[in-house]
Amino acid sequence: MGITIKDVSKAFGTFQAVKNVNLDIPTGDFVALLGPSGSGKTTLLRLIAGLEGLDSGGIYFDDVDYTYKTIKERNVGFVFQNYALFKHMTIFDNIAFGLKVRPRKTRPSKNEIAEKVNELLKLVQLDHLANRYPSQLSGGQRQRIALARALAVEPEVLLLDEPFGALDAKVRQELRHWLREIHQKLNITTIFVTHDQEEALEMADTVVVMNNGEIEQIGSPEEVYQKPESAFVYSFLGRVNEFREPERVGESEIISYIRPHEIVLRKISQGNSIISEVSHIHVIGSTVRIELRRHDTGDLFEAEMSIEQYQNMSPVKKGDILHAEFKNIVVFNSENKITHLANSGIRNSLKSKLI
Amino acid sequence: MSNKRKQHRVLPGFGLSMGYTLIYLSLIILIPIAVLFLKATTISLAEFWETVTETRVVASYKLTIYTSFIAAFVNAIFGTLIAWVLVRYEFYGKRIIDALVDLPFALPTAVAGIALTTIYAPNGWIGQYFESIGIKVAYTPLGIMIALTFIGLPFVVRSVQPVLQDLDQQYEEAAATLGANSLQIFVKIIFPAIFPAILTGFALAFARALGEYGSVVFISGNMPMKTEIVPLLIITKLEQFNYAGAAAIAVVMLVFSFVLLFLINFWQWKTTKKYQVC
Repeated sequence: MGITIKDVSKAFGTFQAVKNVNLDIPTGDFVALLGPSGSGKTTLLRLIAGLEGLDSGGIYFDDVDYTYKTIKERNVGFVFQNYALFKHMTIFDNIAFGLKVRPRKTRPSKNEIAEKVNELLKLVQLDHLANRYPSQLSGGQRQRIALARALAVEPEVLLLDEPFGALDAKVRQELRHWLREIHQKLNITTIFVTHDQEEALEMADTVVVMNNGEIEQIGSPEEVYQKPESAFVYSFLGRVNEFREPERVGESEIISYIRPHEIVLRKISQGNSIISEVSHIHVIGSTVRIELRRHDTGDLFEAEMSIEQYQNMSPVKKGDILHAEFKNIVVFNSENKITHLANSGIRNSLKSKLI
Repeated sequence: MSNKRKQHRVLPGFGLSMGYTLIYLSLIILIPIAVLFLKATTISLAEFWETVTETRVVASYKLTIYTSFIAAFVNAIFGTLIAWVLVRYEFYGKRIIDALVDLPFALPTAVAGIALTTIYAPNGWIGQYFESIGIKVAYTPLGIMIALTFIGLPFVVRSVQPVLQDLDQQYEEAAATLGANSLQIFVKIIFPAIFPAILTGFALAFARALGEYGSVVFISGNMPMKTEIVPLLIITKLEQFNYAGAAAIAVVMLVFSFVLLFLINFWQWKTTKKYQVC
């Protein structure tokens, strides 16, 4: 089912949580709502589910006005951040809940319910846990059950609020792949909320970047990463060094950005480079991050390279002097238009900040 | 025998605090009750049996237990309702209503009894309307139930209120997204969560009602075989200097109350155990 959101706004008291959001989600899409906390992503998800009422605008499911439909009528599956599994029911009863509460006319028979529940338990690969209680399950298992429960009512839209937020890194990684697989198998429109850019880029077909209640950019993971439309998107997706030019009279501050992997470090001066001192070296698996301090301004910045590049460079240690060449500097002007300054424009007056 | 590596505790001094607990319980509860049992043994077993099975006494057991049960049951329903209103709704004067709930605790029970008798008497404010449709309230078991409901109300409200307050709305939202209607959400999600608390409130209100004297004696009219409660019989025996007889009746009541409370607590423990979460 396709979802269209037209000019939707929602305020909590004086706080404007969602401002004039427009969004078009085609049927079967896998969408990530990505943004920092307080960006309105969860509120938008809850508006789609009908868990919050909107102040203005409209929500359409397949061009049918769903703005004022009740939660029940929307037929969405919602997975809560803390799973919200019913503590006093077994896993089986949790999953069967959505089927058991149906009015008698549309309610499946006991055997049909059992069959459906077992099928879902197999889908989430936890069929051996049917008679346990939620308190006896691990976080990852609870997450799967929460999803199975949401799928039991055969929703046409699946909504997930920070689905992997409370899990440890390894389980999170497993569940990401698993959720993608489930989506491919069932092909229902899926929207999930996350503050983790890696999760959004890795899983989604479409990434919606939100900030301060507004949509900053909509695009494929590649688009939002490679062609960010605003300074916010650029700096939110991936690590970045920020450079501020000191304000001059009558001009607004210009901020330029560079990603750590776009900085080339050499031992000898070559071209337009900046002399810097190594202040820290972090080896994180296959990548190496080197923190440097510019000699001219004393500011810190970060460069990144692969472990191979690092090993090819003759040994570097803390306190060494390196020459840094900035390959791709990005500047956003006041209209948020992007300018790429390849290998040029580095003035000594640039101040830098690691963000 | 003892475990060398002691488990870390937030407050040290288990021995001291346990000792204090036992002394305190002994002085306040166990010793007086033991004396009661001792007093009851000063008469022979035959005499004891005769005292506690006298028809007038048996009638009073029945009356006390059944009025107490009904009163606690009514409180379990309406106390839960009041707790619900106090937790789920915002309205003008909520704090006052919240404070009003505790009033039956603060009021001397005799005062409550006299006030209730006055308004429920056949010519009283409310009693006259019941009288006109042929229902007698004061001086009947119904009057006793009203007095017992009055004094037991705070127990249920105060047991259920905090549990309801802590209940995460997420569960209700989850049930709603799965297609449950309001009634189903209440019956299948909210009620199981607050049931142990309702049970606790019920047990407390019931226990309190079994021993209540002050507020009941005025409204009941104290007619033998009809509206005579057990505590009244005990007082009557005391006034006749029949201390052993009074103790005998008290012992029966005590044992019965203890068994009942124990069963309710056990039931409550069993239901709570199931819901325990991480």
